[in-house]
Amino acid sequence: MGKGIPGLDQAYHVLFTVVLVVLAVMIILCLIRAIIGPRIADRIVATNMMGTIVMVIIATLAIMMKEGYLADICIIYAMISFLAVIVLTKVYMGVYREKKEEESDGGH
Amino acid sequence: MAVIEWIRFLFGALFLLCGLVIFCIEMVGVFRFRYVLNRMHAAAMGDTLGIASSLIGLMLINGWNFTSLKLFCVIVFLWFSSPTSSHLIARLEVATDEKRSGHYSVFRLDEPDKRGKKEAEPVYEAGGSGGGNGMNKRAGS
Repeated sequence: MGKGIPGLDQAYHVLFTVVLVVLAVMIILCLIRAIIGPRIADRIVATNMMGTIVMVIIATLAIMMKEGYLADICIIYAMISFLAVIVLTKVYMGVYREKKEEESDGGH
Repeated sequence: MAVIEWIRFLFGALFLLCGLVIFCIEMVGVFRFRYVLNRMHAAAMGDTLGIASSLIGLMLINGWNFTSLKLFCVIVFLWFSSPTSSHLIARLEVATDEKRSGHYSVFRLDEPDKRGKKEAEPVYEAGGSGGGNGMNKRAGS
């Protein structure tokens, strides 16, 4: 990082702040997409995108604050985000199948 | 020495801002495409290229130590997990779509292929609204 060179520390700080602000705006846009998304797959895609952007934010904070352990949290976040997508997909597939079975039972 | 540090800053900022621009393109794609399977295309780009570019920039800034190795692990893990989750979401969408509004066509792989006799006909429910029409005009028989 800066290593005491005049101006460089300030340049890093400005760069990281700009990146964090832009990524925060993008998370709000992702949230809007997740709310207005007409289908359930839309919402899952938006959640997945939000997880990706949060990972970049955590990594940027790890470098900016010189806290190496935040990178571990980034790895854990990637794994949990992947697991969330798998579980949500399976859950909605099961919900859909149950609904279809109920409809076919009611039809007879 | 100061010059080398400034060069490292410039390259790191270049990669980081590249990743940011790719995330912006992803947002534009997600808001302008009309259907989930199209939006997924834009979203997968940010999952692989966007985060790879951003984290490579951060690795250049950070230098050669264990934190950079962990960030590299994140990139590798996402390169494996993003296609898998995209596949699962696409399967969910195709399985639960009842109207199938003309955005895609389904080829069934377990049925015998009629390509020897005539053109292989896709199982395609035309629901109007454009989208898939141009893709199904195969050349010749």
